Amino acid sequence: MVQLTINGKKVSTKKGNTILEAALDNNIKIPHLCHDKRLMPYGGCRLCIVEIEGRKKPEASCATFATDGLSVWTDTPKVIKIRQTVLELILVHHPLDCPVCDKAGECDIQDLVYQYGSPRTRFVAEKNHALPDTRGPLVELTSSRCVLCGKCVRLCAEHQGKGALGLIGRGFPTVVQPAFGEALECDFCGQCIDVCPTGALMNKSLKFKARPWFLEEKDSICSFCGCGCTLTLGLTDGKIQRSRGMQDRGVNRGNLCGRGRFGFDYIYSENRLRSPMINKGGELVTVTWDEALNYISDRMKSIINAHGPSSIGAIGSPRCTNEENYCFQKFMRNVVGSNNIDSSASFGYGLVEKAWHMAFGLSGHRIDLKYPTGKEVILAIESDLTVTHPVFGLNILQAQREGSELIVADSRETKLTRHSTRWARIKQGTGVVFLNGIMRIMMDRGLIDNQIVLHMKDVSAFEETLKEYTPSKVSEITGLSRDELVTITETLVHAKTRMLTLSIGVSENSKGLDTVLAATNLIHLLGESPDALQIPAEYANTFGLYQMGVRPDAGPAYQWTGVEGKNIFEMLYEPYSLKALYIMGADPLVNFPDKSEIITTLKSLYLLIVQDIALTETAKFAHVILPASSWAEKEGTYTNAEGVSQMLPRLIEPAGQSLPDWKILKNLARTMGEDMAVHDTTDIVREIDSLRVKYYDSFPMTRIFNPVHYVPGEEPDTEYPVNMVLRDVLQHAGSMSTRSKTLNLISSEALLEINRTDADRFGISHNGYVKVISRRGTVYLKAAVSDSVPDGNVYVPTHFPHSAVSTLTHQSGKGRITTEAVRIETA
Amino acid sequence: MLNETALQEIQELKIRYPERESALLPALYIAQREFGWLSNEALLHVANVLNLPEAKVRGTASFYSMFKDKPAGRNIVQLCTNISCMIAGSDGLVNFLQTRYGMKPDETTPDGRFSLILMECIGACGTAPAMLVNTDFHENLTEQNIGEILETYK
Ligand code: SF4
Ligand code: SF4
Ligand code: SF4
Ligand code: FES
Ligand code: FES
Repeated sequence: MVQLTINGKKVSTKKGNTILEAALDNNIKIPHLCHDKRLMPYGGCRLCIVEIEGRKKPEASCATFATDGLSVWTDTPKVIKIRQTVLELILVHHPLDCPVCDKAGECDIQDLVYQYGSPRTRFVAEKNHALPDTRGPLVELTSSRCVLCGKCVRLCAEHQGKGALGLIGRGFPTVVQPAFGEALECDFCGQCIDVCPTGALMNKSLKFKARPWFLEEKDSICSFCGCGCTLTLGLTDGKIQRSRGMQDRGVNRGNLCGRGRFGFDYIYSENRLRSPMINKGGELVTVTWDEALNYISDRMKSIINAHGPSSIGAIGSPRCTNEENYCFQKFMRNVVGSNNIDSSASFGYGLVEKAWHMAFGLSGHRIDLKYPTGKEVILAIESDLTVTHPVFGLNILQAQREGSELIVADSRETKLTRHSTRWARIKQGTGVVFLNGIMRIMMDRGLIDNQIVLHMKDVSAFEETLKEYTPSKVSEITGLSRDELVTITETLVHAKTRMLTLSIGVSENSKGLDTVLAATNLIHLLGESPDALQIPAEYANTFGLYQMGVRPDAGPAYQWTGVEGKNIFEMLYEPYSLKALYIMGADPLVNFPDKSEIITTLKSLYLLIVQDIALTETAKFAHVILPASSWAEKEGTYTNAEGVSQMLPRLIEPAGQSLPDWKILKNLARTMGEDMAVHDTTDIVREIDSLRVKYYDSFPMTRIFNPVHYVPGEEPDTEYPVNMVLRDVLQHAGSMSTRSKTLNLISSEALLEINRTDADRFGISHNGYVKVISRRGTVYLKAAVSDSVPDGNVYVPTHFPHSAVSTLTHQSGKGRITTEAVRIETA
Repeated sequence: MLNETALQEIQELKIRYPERESALLPALYIAQREFGWLSNEALLHVANVLNLPEAKVRGTASFYSMFKDKPAGRNIVQLCTNISCMIAGSDGLVNFLQTRYGMKPDETTPDGRFSLILMECIGACGTAPAMLVNTDFHENLTEQNIGEILETYK
């Protein structure tokens, strides 16, 4: 710690902090325009100027380190005069169009001029008349209002790793814009909007909607990925108008991705369900809650009587709260009497839990969003965390900037590979071989951690299984040279601190349980703690739903349920295995593989209940549809991938007659003559607490090798010559986000990413439509010809209902790699 | 497209600095040497080779007056017209260059022989007025010697 004096007051601050940071940490205000915690010191605006005793000139506090014994004065007459002059100079060109500027009311320039402004302007020059650039869909650039603080440019490049904006030109005519003045094409995280101190960069979706002073701001949690970011939501007249990040707030510390910032408006989609519906003779008819619940109750009872409770199954939701998922499994287990309950987690987080248990005997795999910080080596396996978990991804990029060696093993060029120190371009789906290859080299060269490994019983058996992964074979399968493999191995082994990471989930198909197990084996050999493996749970409440017992093999708090229920594979892909299925907040027909197989199953059911916030593809097959309230319309908690439970407050009125999911379940139970004994969410929370849900076990820990072999996905042949890999896009998480009007402006359909060579081979042009045929079906997609993907492979996302990519895919039931062999033709 | 030698030079620059960004200015110099000026294509090319954001590259190139954003003549005359040179008569020299050679600020003569750029201070105030022709430095200019000097540039 460093001790210094500011305005006569003794304060202390972390070594390496600037004077400005020292002051802000101690609640001493110094005005600043160009400073942002996340960025390198810049010293551009000169507003943070202070006097330091013993130094001749005033200095920029944001660019001067705090050192022991400094005595700093922040508000001397001299300093105030300088600030006034700086502001006067800023205003020389500024158009002062506050009356029509949407920033007015929360504009730093306005506030500063109000505080310091001198009524006189001594400098007169041409005002900046640059016209606003309204071409972009989400970010509006009015460079006449820009004060050239450079924060947006630096944040985009330094922090987001994108660099979409530049300060172009020099002196007075300098403008902020994309490189050549073209329309902004970027990640659309909107982080630049948050940092702009003026109205130069504005959120277009807020334009003309609300003056800042009419916005009432409340915090809630993002409903998309497992990061669990805090959104600061601005409301007027009971409607959410915008979402932004506030410095230091939440696990995201003020960062947001585009989904969290722009995507919340899916709750206002026209597609929202407003009342219960029953399918009567092939048509969905609006009915009362009473009719719907009685209908379900009668049908369920007769199915239970005729076929037993085990003929009923349920699928829970990572978009629903802990309380709701808890009630859901309680409804299934206590009211229906069935353990047939599962969720999308079985394609992702469930596999991680399984591997975690097999390798370490632990449960409750959590990540730490800040884990990447300061790690000597970070190895990412066939994943782009900047897309699946953008805020975790940002921390990885930051670690790399601060000196971590970032090794990315991936077939496709991604933001992560672009920022890597070493991009190991392995062939898609060969992660297991890559990892086995590394381990074989470690074994051969005696580079393993003997203290740990020699205490493990099955070492020699494990070593035996690695025998076949000779460097030359690994080289052949992965496409990496032997030298590269050796260098990577050595880098990993010699590092003192490491992190291994990957993403896994229902929206990807080139990794599986095997990939995770191979990573745990490597953790053993390296003698690393299990924490070094950081695999985030995929969606907002995937972690929570798992802990709440929405799984066939265990109830809440990992309580063994006696009879193991049917899992998602048995329920959805074995037609006639169930008579009734209750789906809460999930759309298997879009998000899960093998659409036609699921349709067969759904059609075989006597009763399909779909409870959701919108009319999903799956709901179209339902006998009964129940309208649920969205995350903003009810109270509850989400547990993020770190295992942190966070409150969702009720912000707005429920849409139509929709009800929170737990209330629907409670009412249904009552209609069936059972009492769930819950009256409000506090009851549920109390009940969950009384179970002492252990989110995670730390001891006793064991270490077990689980040898895995390379099992590729469907192999391409002459008829289906191309590999299709599923990968997420940055603008979406799951399929609900595709109902956001705002996100649709930038990404509204599944694009098939294809290499130039292949495009030529199949006669496909950029932006042209293509026919994609797999052994299971055919879809039409728009092609994006791209250098970032290797030939022989195409990359497609699943999010979009109308793109129907799941028509092409299959599942293995075993958590295996399921890449598809497809054929591509011009449409 | 940059030729092999130029690319090689840039690759070597990349290793010389701990940050890729540091190689940007010298790389832009190389590109300008090759093409005579920095077109958008040239900037994109440099961005790709250095793996830097295009906006960063264009921003840097547009900041420095020694980088040309349009084709230039065979010889680049950079005449200082800042305060010391102005007092010592640089305005007269500008007129002289226009009448004698048809040189206009920021333009290239029709025969492609000269491009004229009016510079901010080039650090030769003590021997003002001063100019740079390509990379050669000339000071204490008068209407007489400036003509003689320029005659050596064809
Ligand atoms: S929205 Fe994000 S990626 Fe786009 S310019 Fe702004 S900071 Fe950069
Ligand atoms: S657009 Fe805003 S953040 Fe960017 S330089 Fe201008 S004032 Fe600063
Ligand atoms: S999608 Fe994930 S990273 Fe983006 S704002 Fe939401 S929680 Fe944060
Ligand atoms: S905040 Fe210090 S110079 Fe801008
Ligand atoms: S003013 Fe011309 S060299 Fe300084």
